[in-house]
This record gives sequence, C-alpha cells and structure tokens, in this order.
Amino acid sequence: MSAAIADRRLHPGTILLRFLKEAPGAVLAVPAGVAFASRGGFTRIFALVAVMTAVVVFSKWLAWRRFRYVVGASEIVVESGIFSRNRRTIPFDRVQDVDIERTFLARVFGLARVRIETGAGGRDEGLLDSVTLAEAQRLREIVRAFHAVAPQAEAAVETAPEGRLLYAMGVPRLLLFGLFSFSLMYIAGFFALLQTFDGLLPFDIYDPARWMGLIGDYLPERFTAAAIAIVLFLAVLLGLIAGVVRTAARDFGFRLVLEGGRFRREHGLFTRREAVIPRRRVQLAAVDTGPVRNAFGWSGLSFQTLGSGGERSGRQAAAPFAERDEVAAILAEAGAYRLPPPPELATVSRRHILRSLVGKLLPLAALILAGSLWRPQLLFLLLFLPLLAIGVAVERRFHRYALDGELLFVARGAWRQRLWLVPVANVQALSLSRGPLQRRLGLATLSVDTAGAPVVRAPRIVDLREADAEALAARISAYASGRKSGTER
Amino acid sequence: MTPLDPAFFRLLRLNGAIAGAILIAAAFVVEAILGGRLGLPRGTLAAPAVLAALYLVVLSPARRYRAWGYEMGVEELHVRRGVWTRIYTIVPLGRVQHIDVSQGPLERSLGLSRLVLHTAGTLHSQVVLPGLWRETAEAMRDEIRGRIAPGEE
Repeated sequence: MSAAIADRRLHPGTILLRFLKEAPGAVLAVPAGVAFASRGGFTRIFALVAVMTAVVVFSKWLAWRRFRYVVGASEIVVESGIFSRNRRTIPFDRVQDVDIERTFLARVFGLARVRIETGAGGRDEGLLDSVTLAEAQRLREIVRAFHAVAPQAEAAVETAPEGRLLYAMGVPRLLLFGLFSFSLMYIAGFFALLQTFDGLLPFDIYDPARWMGLIGDYLPERFTAAAIAIVLFLAVLLGLIAGVVRTAARDFGFRLVLEGGRFRREHGLFTRREAVIPRRRVQLAAVDTGPVRNAFGWSGLSFQTLGSGGERSGRQAAAPFAERDEVAAILAEAGAYRLPPPPELATVSRRHILRSLVGKLLPLAALILAGSLWRPQLLFLLLFLPLLAIGVAVERRFHRYALDGELLFVARGAWRQRLWLVPVANVQALSLSRGPLQRRLGLATLSVDTAGAPVVRAPRIVDLREADAEALAARISAYASGRKSGTER
Repeated sequence: MTPLDPAFFRLLRLNGAIAGAILIAAAFVVEAILGGRLGLPRGTLAAPAVLAALYLVVLSPARRYRAWGYEMGVEELHVRRGVWTRIYTIVPLGRVQHIDVSQGPLERSLGLSRLVLHTAGTLHSQVVLPGLWRETAEAMRDEIRGRIAPGEE
C-alpha cells in the first residue's frame, strides 16, 4: 500500500522564495566579504557575491529536486534529503489537521506552506514548503474528506453547553494555600531587599567577619540575640505574606467546570485566565503534595494534555489545592482515572539505595578526600555523608508503583511528592534500561513515554528488580497494544 | 530476537575506522605541534590514540552489533540496543504516528536502510532501528502502516 511513487515536486518558485528568505541573513556576511575583497576592489566583491549566490541557489535547487511527495489512497509520502535519503509515510488516520500558512513573500508568489500536523511532539512532521495555494487546498480537502467519513465523536459532545462546577477555591482556602506556598526563596529575596537598604540598618549583614565572630564568642553590643530573632521573624513573616500574595494573584477564584466533554478552568485576581481542557486530550493526571500538606490531607491535581492547533500542550492545573475526596471526584469525571487502591503501592528494590549511594556518595567522598590533601579540616564533611545515606533510604520509601487494571501509578519524591496516574492506553512507548551497575545488581529502570510529557519530570520507575520490570513492561505493553480487555488484571 | 543485517556490522566497522582515523590524525597533529615544546616522549598521545582506534575497529563493532536486536510482534515492535546501558524499547504499533525509511550515503553503498518510528511521546518520540536490508525495512514499514489503528485520533 505504500507503493505510491512520490512523483510530485514543490513549486519551483520555492527555490527563489527560500533564497530571498535567506538573503537578508547573508547580508551580515557582507562586511567579512568586503574585508576579504578590499584589496581587489569592486569587481572582486561582485565576483564574491555572484559565487555565493550561485552556491546558495544551487543548493536550494538541489534540495528542491530531491524533495518529492505524493498523496496516496490513505497516506502522504514525503521523500527528502540531498545526501541522506528519507522517505516518510504519514497515514491520514494520524493527521490531525492541515495548516496552510502564507507569509507575505509567499503571497507575492501565490504560494503557501502546508504543515501536516500529526501530534507527534509538535515538531515539523510534514512540511511542504511551498506549493501553490490550489495544491495546498487540494491536500486539505483530501485529508478532511477522509476524516469526514469517520464519525466524529466530538460533535455530539459539543452540544452539551451547560456546565457543572467540580471545584472552586474560596478565600479561606486560598489563604491557607498561600501559607503552604511559603518558600525559602522569599527569605533569600528578603535578604536581597535588606542589601538594597543596607545603609539604613544598624549592622552590616554581609560582613563575614561579623558572622564568623558570631560563631565565636565575639558579639557586638547591638548584635544581640533579640535583633537576630526579629530579623528572622520578619523574614518568615514576609515569606508568608509573599506566598499568600502570589497565590492570590494567580489562583483567586479558581473554578473548574465540566462542560460536556471538556473541563473549563478560570482563575486569577488581576488577569482572569480561562482555559479549556478537552477530556480526550488528557494524557495523564498528576497529584502533587508535600510532607506537611499531605499530613493535613491537601494535594494539588494537574493534567498533562496533548495540544493541537492553538491549544497548549503540557501540564494544566485542575485543582491546585484540594482535599482527597475532591481530587477523587475530579478524577472520576476525567475518565479512566482514580486514586490508588487501598493495597499500598509496591516499593522499588532495596538495592536502589545501594545504587543511588554508589552514584552519589562515591564521587562526593572522593572529592572530599582529594580536598583534604590541602585542607585537612574538610575531613569533617565526611560526617555528613551518613545523612545522605538516610536521605536516599527515605527517598526510596516514597518511590512506589502499581499497575491496577489499565492504570499505572508511579509515586516519587519525599519532599516534593508526586503521584502519576497513567492510563496504559496513553502510553506511546516504553523502555527498560540497564546501566552497567544496574546489570550487576539485577535492576532495571522502566520509563513510560506519554504525549506532551515534560522531559525532566516524567513517570519513571527507577531500579525495579529485573524480573519485576520485565513482567511489568510485558503487562503494560499488552494493555497498550490492546491485546487484553480492561477488566482483566 | 532478530539480529540486524550483517552488512550493518560492516557499517559499524567502517564508522569505527573513520572515527579511528580522525582520532589518530588529530593525535599526531597535536603531538607534532605540542610534543616538542612540552618535551613529551614520542607517542604519548599517538599510542593511546592507536589503541583507541584499534578498539573502535576491532572490538567495538562486534559488541555494538551484538547489542542490537529487534522483534516484530503482532501488535508491537521490540528494539534492543546499547552496549553499556542496555535499552529495551517496546512500541505499540497502534501508537505510531508516521514512519520514516532513511538512508545515509554509507548506508546506501551497503544497501542498508534505517526505519524510524515516530510516536506522539516526548522521550522516545523517535524509535530508530538501523541496519536493515532495504527491502526488509520497506516491508516492515508497509506492515506497520497496515497495523496503525484506524479511527483513533
């Protein structure tokens, strides 16, 4: 079926268009050219420009010549590349939309740039730069006609406009949330502020001799314990106030409304923001909390969405500060989501501690030992290493996972606790990786890839026992590729 | 698991040879320029470079070739790779957004192709399977193309 021969080319005007587009950039190279050709005079500059133009036009021509595409019965095939040949097949099923862009220059030539969107991470998936406007419209018609045959689930959903309030944040809760948003950052900010008004204070807070003196027995008369207490109290107070103000500005009047198949969210004190999160675009849910917040039963819920067209891709807050029941209620409306079942999530292998320690402790210890060759006092730092070990052990207690039916739970973080809820049906790919040390310890890391995921904090289960990892991967992939029904465990 | 085409081993060796040659040339040049000035004994840089090049040409290609493997399941493609860190990737075929078959100049001379599956994910948005005989790659592409679940957005 992919035997379609790519025989269509872009419009030849493309060569000129691309050349003109890059010409302004080439102007920057002129001073260098002038410097080079200054001895040869005008003719030499002219020759240089001519050669450069010829080279650029030739390369554009070559790229044009090597670029071919064809619209087959159910896919678009694009061939490109001057030296490396690439043949890309984009099935119509995967095409979300066909965008037609017309820059001013393109309009002059009667051309248009066609962008075929497939939702694959938002890069240049299929770019036809450029074809005639008629050709662009033909492409769009073909794709739209193909999609029109398939029934649109979306249309039915849009006809239920009246919304249902799922979550709203009142003023008392907003204030409480603000208090929890207290951060040491504000204390740093406070001290930065102090520095600005340095002259107004009776002492110099940045005088290291004073601080050193404080540790010793030297205390200036004004620098009493009371003064220090007041400064600290002010810093904490300011931190709290700043937290409340910032939170109020962002989340005042936070409301989450369910309208048909979409969540509508509005928030903000000075600028009211509104966003729509279509339910079917939700890829996974994340519940964030911290040790203190969790003790009081508070957590925040956000969704990771796959954007298309103008919609934003990425993390969208659904309820920044909510009780467990509220989170559960929103999750229930989001589709296949729920909080983890009562049987506790499983922890990763104990050897995870060992591996983390080898990775963190050894380099640090080596650094300290090396440093102690010059300054023997540094050896005292070794006393802090056991603390690191305790930290690693605690982190492991908070790194948990479970696959419950079609929902994968991954929890991570002792301080910034996050629980991911990943419907297996949304898993795009999964991979097991084993580093040299992991192989020795019989461990493996399982990462599941979802659409719209951030690169840094994505659900990963680090250091599972190898056998567990393989079994889990097999179960996930079985669900993900639809071999098992949802009820089966 | 299915090993890659034996021609891929030659490709890896060819790549190793090119990298090794560059390494040796660079080592000799640097030594010629700096060696005399710093009073280094002859071969301080060149000898390790030659050893490294030998590794790249003799040992590394076989290990890398052996590390690769794939298996085309009914619903998913399994790809194994990596010498130090072993990575095993599973792509449900229903998740594939679009498929590339590409060929670099060296690959073309050996009749090889690379199959690239693009998914909507971020971490493994491209799953690359190199070293396939061109016809194999095209047959796999057509097969995966047929499996892409219709109707799903």
